[in-house]
Amino acid sequence: MRKLLILILILTSILAGCTSTKEETQPAEHNRDNLVLAIGGEPEEGFDPTTGWGRYGSPLFQSTLLSYDDELNITLDLATDYQVSEDGLIWTVSVREDVLFSDEEPLDAEDIVFTFETTKNSGSVVDLSKVKEIKAIDAHTVQFELSEPDSTFVHILATTGIVPKHTYDENYNQNPIGSGPYQLVQWDKGQQIIVEKNPHFYGQEPSFQQLTFLFLSEDAAFAAAKAGQVDIVSVPPAFATEEVEGMRLVELDSVDNRGVMFPFVPSGEETGDGLPIGNDVTSDIAIRKGINIGIDREQLVEGILDGFGRPAFSIADSLPWWNENTAFEDGKVEQANELLEQAGWQLNEKGIREKNGIEAAFPLIYPSGDQIRQSLSMAFAEMVQPLGIEVTPEGKSWNEIEQLMYSTPVMMGWGSHNPIELYNVYSSETRGIGYYNSNYYSNEIVDEYMSQALAAKSQEEANSYWKKAQWDESTGFSARGDAPWAWLVNLKHLYFVNENLEIGAQKVQPHGHGWPITDFIQNWHWKE
Amino acid sequence: MISNIRSLSLRQRALLTITLSVLFLLSIAIGSFLFGEDELAIQMQNKNSSPSLSHWFGTDWLGRDMFARTVDGLALSLGVGLLASSISVVIALILSLLTMWSEWADRIVTWFIDLFLSVPHLVLLILISFSLGGGFKGVVLGLAFTHWPSLTRILRGEILQMKTAEYVGISKQLGKSKWWVARYHFLPHLIPQLFVGFLLMFPHAILHEASITFLGFGLPAEQPAIGVILSESMRYLSVGMWWLAFFPGLSLLLMVGIFDRLGHSLQKLLDPFQGQKR
Repeated sequence: MRKLLILILILTSILAGCTSTKEETQPAEHNRDNLVLAIGGEPEEGFDPTTGWGRYGSPLFQSTLLSYDDELNITLDLATDYQVSEDGLIWTVSVREDVLFSDEEPLDAEDIVFTFETTKNSGSVVDLSKVKEIKAIDAHTVQFELSEPDSTFVHILATTGIVPKHTYDENYNQNPIGSGPYQLVQWDKGQQIIVEKNPHFYGQEPSFQQLTFLFLSEDAAFAAAKAGQVDIVSVPPAFATEEVEGMRLVELDSVDNRGVMFPFVPSGEETGDGLPIGNDVTSDIAIRKGINIGIDREQLVEGILDGFGRPAFSIADSLPWWNENTAFEDGKVEQANELLEQAGWQLNEKGIREKNGIEAAFPLIYPSGDQIRQSLSMAFAEMVQPLGIEVTPEGKSWNEIEQLMYSTPVMMGWGSHNPIELYNVYSSETRGIGYYNSNYYSNEIVDEYMSQALAAKSQEEANSYWKKAQWDESTGFSARGDAPWAWLVNLKHLYFVNENLEIGAQKVQPHGHGWPITDFIQNWHWKE
Repeated sequence: MISNIRSLSLRQRALLTITLSVLFLLSIAIGSFLFGEDELAIQMQNKNSSPSLSHWFGTDWLGRDMFARTVDGLALSLGVGLLASSISVVIALILSLLTMWSEWADRIVTWFIDLFLSVPHLVLLILISFSLGGGFKGVVLGLAFTHWPSLTRILRGEILQMKTAEYVGISKQLGKSKWWVARYHFLPHLIPQLFVGFLLMFPHAILHEASITFLGFGLPAEQPAIGVILSESMRYLSVGMWWLAFFPGLSLLLMVGIFDRLGHSLQKLLDPFQGQKR
């Protein structure tokens, strides 16, 4: 009897629990002026632009001299005008005079000089080593002097948020004061940040008074979306096929790419730290090209990403500096086999190709815990099997990958709005610098094109050289040329968005997930 | 007479349990050989399908058959358990034989047992397996180095008891060496304990292997281990793919339970004292 009573008690409490959550799941009223977002990406280093905050998207709390529109054209933001000298060394930027920081202090040239000097000295991911001198000409004009011409400097100006000189200290990353559309109210580390509208923002006024960013695991974020507790949530492809009541799926194209990095040189050398360089299998161009032709990227997109992505043929697909001729027809197993055969890779009794006693077999390392890269690696291994190439996927920690990446193929990802990434990944100058050019790739002609791109006077001129560096109809760093990489897919960034919320057009999303979606936050509004 | 039949049937029951358990475990081992590349291959066209006649346990997000993966995982667990338990038993035997050497040796061994038992099992396991670099080797050695203390304690108790036995005393007075006494008096006496201890260690070892793999400190993600399968499945629970966790988890539980039954049945057969208990 008592057992029965307890059972009834439990059942009723469960039912009660269900009904009470049901009430909360009612879609919120239309004219609410706050939003809850679960888009992940809590920055470990805080919100200091001088150490890299905002380089993948809007800094939110700060504003930048220049910015991008939704087609990645450079537009003015804090700046009213900018000029580059004939030799490309002197950049002069004049800025608005009516800008206030959120603490009501005015923003002037001193703050800009201070920001860029601090960034240069911080030794962070933002590379300002080419900037020789920064000086204020008058209260609202700044002059940058570069040590060599750099057409990509414009992207530094578009991604570096300006910090106030008068309040900047070592705690700034926790307490960012800036001239952006929002100001930080509260940061509960590991849980959430709450931001409020900056009343002194000079640009278009956002329609939401308060935003709450929750930092949840993928699973918890999805559950919150189902419970109707968030307005925007980022989800992995596996969740995107689900229906969520009151929300619609927004698919954003990105250059957040995944591809296999092939060591470009034969083995034998060592880095300064004694790490091995090179791989005797992938140093053969026939292997790299055969794989590039033989794999079926469309199938990877359909199978692994549930269709939420597109095939990738280069590091910068659909960006202004992308060479469209780098794309080709893939999935041609026969053609790939022919190529390998001609290059002297013969099948042995195990069904694996062999040349000069070396088997066409290599491990493919992926960061363990990254499920998409794991699945891609496994599917890649199966796809190259018909080519007679044996690939063994192995999950490793990033620490281990850093030891192995100069000698072993790795499933990596890039994707930036700054073409300097092409230089970083493919130039002979950057061989073995961290994750940059871990292939040890080098091609003199490509180097020449890229230095011309850097020296270019205009963005159009620069882009034409970037394109030539990829493929100039005879050589280049793309898969049609030297093929140091096998690019596989560009992910789509997936969000469930409250069906009454309008977020407008978005630009092609970069490698970083989450924050880039807040780029045009001023344009967000409820549907009428 | 009646008690005779009853004890006989108990013995028979024990024998039956043992036979069935061994058959089950054998079928897992054989099954893992039968499932080759084909069943484990990625088949995008039938991914995320729920349990059906062609895929008993459903398929995962890469279209791999979960039944094949589970059987492979269980076989791997079996292998890990076998290796780890064997090493553990050897450690336990050596340490327990050490205790008869001298009072000091006994104290040191007891101190070690207390030390290892005082630290939470899983923490120690993660510590050892991590410091050995993880992977298969790390897990096996981690399990081996953490599962010996309780068995050692039992064996030590047995030895203490035997040491006071008259025949041991007589052997000593006849000038037999300690080695001789250990070899001819202690070891034969300890073998049933060792065997049962070995079998009862299995479920522990297997469950611990699965837990640290689940936590990400154990076997690497490309191995078909049950812990890997379970931790992967966590990502898909909220989209309703329950079969990814349910069947492998249940199978693991079943295997562990069977090992437990096997150990206890064997104990009934080998140990007269346990055999009389109802």
